[in-house]
Amino acid sequence: MTEYADESGTLDADILHVIHAWHRHGTGLDDDAFDRLALRILAYQLRYNAPYAAYCAARGVTLDALPSHWNAIPPAPSAAFKDATLTTFNMRRAALRFQTSGTTQGRSGLHYMETAALYDAALLAGFDRAMLADAARPRFFNVVPNPHERPQSSLGYMMGRVSAERGDRETGWYLRGDELLFTAFCADLEAAIGDAAVVCIAGTAFGLLEIVDLLARQERRYTLPAGSRIMETGGFKGRTREVSREDLYAQLARRFGIDSCAIVAEYGMTELTSQYYDTAASRSSNVRVKTGPPWLRARVVDVSGARVPPGAAGALVHCDLANRSSVVAVATEDLAYETNEGFVLLGRDSEAPLRGCSLDAEQLATRE
Amino acid sequence: MRPFSGALRDVPVPRIVDAISDAAERWSDADFPPRVRATDAIVRRMGYSVPVVEYALDRLFTPIAATALRAVIEAELGSLAALDRFVDFEGKSPRRALPVGRVAVVASRSTIGVALVPAIFALCAKCDVVVKDREDGAIGAFFATLHEEHAAFATAALAESWRGDETGDRLADFACVVAFGATGTLREIRARCDADARFVGFGTRASVGYLDARTIADARALDAALDGAARDIVLYDTEGCLSLHAIFIEAASDDAARVTERLTPALQRAAVEFPLGERAPEAAARFAAARDAASFRAASGHGDVYADTDHGFAVISATLDEPPPFAPRTTAIVPVRDPGEALAYLRRHSLELEAFAVAEPNDALTELAIASGASRIASFGRLQAPPLGADHGGRPRMADFIRWIDREM
Repeated sequence: MTEYADESGTLDADILHVIHAWHRHGTGLDDDAFDRLALRILAYQLRYNAPYAAYCAARGVTLDALPSHWNAIPPAPSAAFKDATLTTFNMRRAALRFQTSGTTQGRSGLHYMETAALYDAALLAGFDRAMLADAARPRFFNVVPNPHERPQSSLGYMMGRVSAERGDRETGWYLRGDELLFTAFCADLEAAIGDAAVVCIAGTAFGLLEIVDLLARQERRYTLPAGSRIMETGGFKGRTREVSREDLYAQLARRFGIDSCAIVAEYGMTELTSQYYDTAASRSSNVRVKTGPPWLRARVVDVSGARVPPGAAGALVHCDLANRSSVVAVATEDLAYETNEGFVLLGRDSEAPLRGCSLDAEQLATRE
Repeated sequence: MRPFSGALRDVPVPRIVDAISDAAERWSDADFPPRVRATDAIVRRMGYSVPVVEYALDRLFTPIAATALRAVIEAELGSLAALDRFVDFEGKSPRRALPVGRVAVVASRSTIGVALVPAIFALCAKCDVVVKDREDGAIGAFFATLHEEHAAFATAALAESWRGDETGDRLADFACVVAFGATGTLREIRARCDADARFVGFGTRASVGYLDARTIADARALDAALDGAARDIVLYDTEGCLSLHAIFIEAASDDAARVTERLTPALQRAAVEFPLGERAPEAAARFAAARDAASFRAASGHGDVYADTDHGFAVISATLDEPPPFAPRTTAIVPVRDPGEALAYLRRHSLELEAFAVAEPNDALTELAIASGASRIASFGRLQAPPLGADHGGRPRMADFIRWIDREM
């Protein structure tokens, strides 16, 4: 136990050092340093995370046969969170536990984290740099699950922490279960405009779409105070009504009187600790490029797991060093292509839909 | 709002049936230019190989023969002539089957041509038909052929693209709406219909098979069943409601390994006949995710997986705790003690069935199929070839598109 605690503490300290260095000073992590830390975490997880170690062993990766590069770390399929407890510790000691998306097959998984320190540090660093680079303290309008109501929502937890740490203490939550509290949203928004308070609306794509639909139906438009912004998370496919990101952003910009550059997409997963955001340079473009912090890297792979050339579509595999107490690499079904700056997300494909007599799965793979 | 045209009112039903049959016969020819174009478009859109699409189009159009159409209508309505005039029925007043009015068939991302069969039966009922399709132009192209067969179809049979919104004809303006979709989609479409409209929803369904102990013990019978199962799996990449998503093995779990061993070469043979197409990245990702998730479980001692990336299939030996993977060309082998355990599995994972495949029917399996909600019991290898008159979703083919009028004097 002491050895485990020592190793965990040392790793956490090293990971937090990377996070804080970037958060405070913008310090990056070169390839060698990323590899070294990733492979240390892998070795640690092979010792303490039995199901993951067994999976790696089946792929020829053991403590005696470690890869030399993070690209070769076997990624745990995201579905594995539904089948096993992927932790390096006794999950009863988890500081945080988040539920992965529900599925059409009715199963969801849990991501346990031994400490909140890594999660908090990672989310605040990412949010500060991507959403609050101007050091604003906005009023948060959260169209995401309220963490008091759904403590197992990673998105709710994230916005709860951000709102508490970076908000103006007038945070509002506008989802009750699946119900959008539209009247309260509008009333609070009008109050914020009256207070000239900078606003940050955070919501899933379909939550935001529901808001603009209702605003349009009521022929209502707002002009948010200068500096206001929107964080959108989630995807655009898989509902009866499909909407393009460009359409949604144009409608949001029109209804809230902001520039579409002030709308930033966040991309995260319950299975990860860290988040990606649109690069600043791509926010004025129709092609939004996602980039992560230095301790989070992505590669786009084909069906055999081999990296595909830049520009070619494939599935995303993430290597998140802040996933110290679970699995360092996670394979997803989310599609993307790589660019020089990061990757362009093409879609979040939630559940395997039966094509036969069916449309796409109606459940969107939103992070809960 | 476009009113019901009644364009087919004065066209005798035998003429309608013949026109549909003649159009289908033209489409049964693989060299018919509109079919060639449709084949190319479907291959591009769905990523299936040409042999798979050709098979699908053959299966779609070849059965639509005048004799078969007449037989289905007569079996269901008791008379073809009742669609044209009052007809005496034994023990009843003279009756006539009138068109219900305008019919919308809403389909999207469905297997090839799924909207066609309800559309042609609605036309046989002399309804106006509008097929709203998100991405497939094949139905519109077939309707163009129908227009050539009889001018009245130019008004009665229309196809329009659909994005899930209310552009084009509003659903509230139809007397009957046939929709294919997942539960949420059907609910939303139903909410848009007129209160008096007939709604015919075809929700998401799966199909499964059951290999009983007797078949497993007979090597020849087992191989024949597995050859058929392989076709049911490979065709349409297990994306259809008639695809074989899971096979129950009535045997000890080590027999499951034996069945998997024999199924994989059958799949390889089927994949030669129906090769893998250009799998879209999202389908490839789903396949990889299912394969890797099964590998993860196998590494922990739960089940097994055999994957052939070249032919793009995977056979997953699953436990009763795991639902079928629902990934392209992927099926689950689920060992069970008896049909009761299979039924418990289906209920546990909330699987609603369209078809149930067996090697040899028996009373226990028939009872299982009934209890599972399936609407077809078929042989392995025949799942993807339903007869024209098959009661898709357990629904009749004609009844939703007509209203009876009785003359009591």
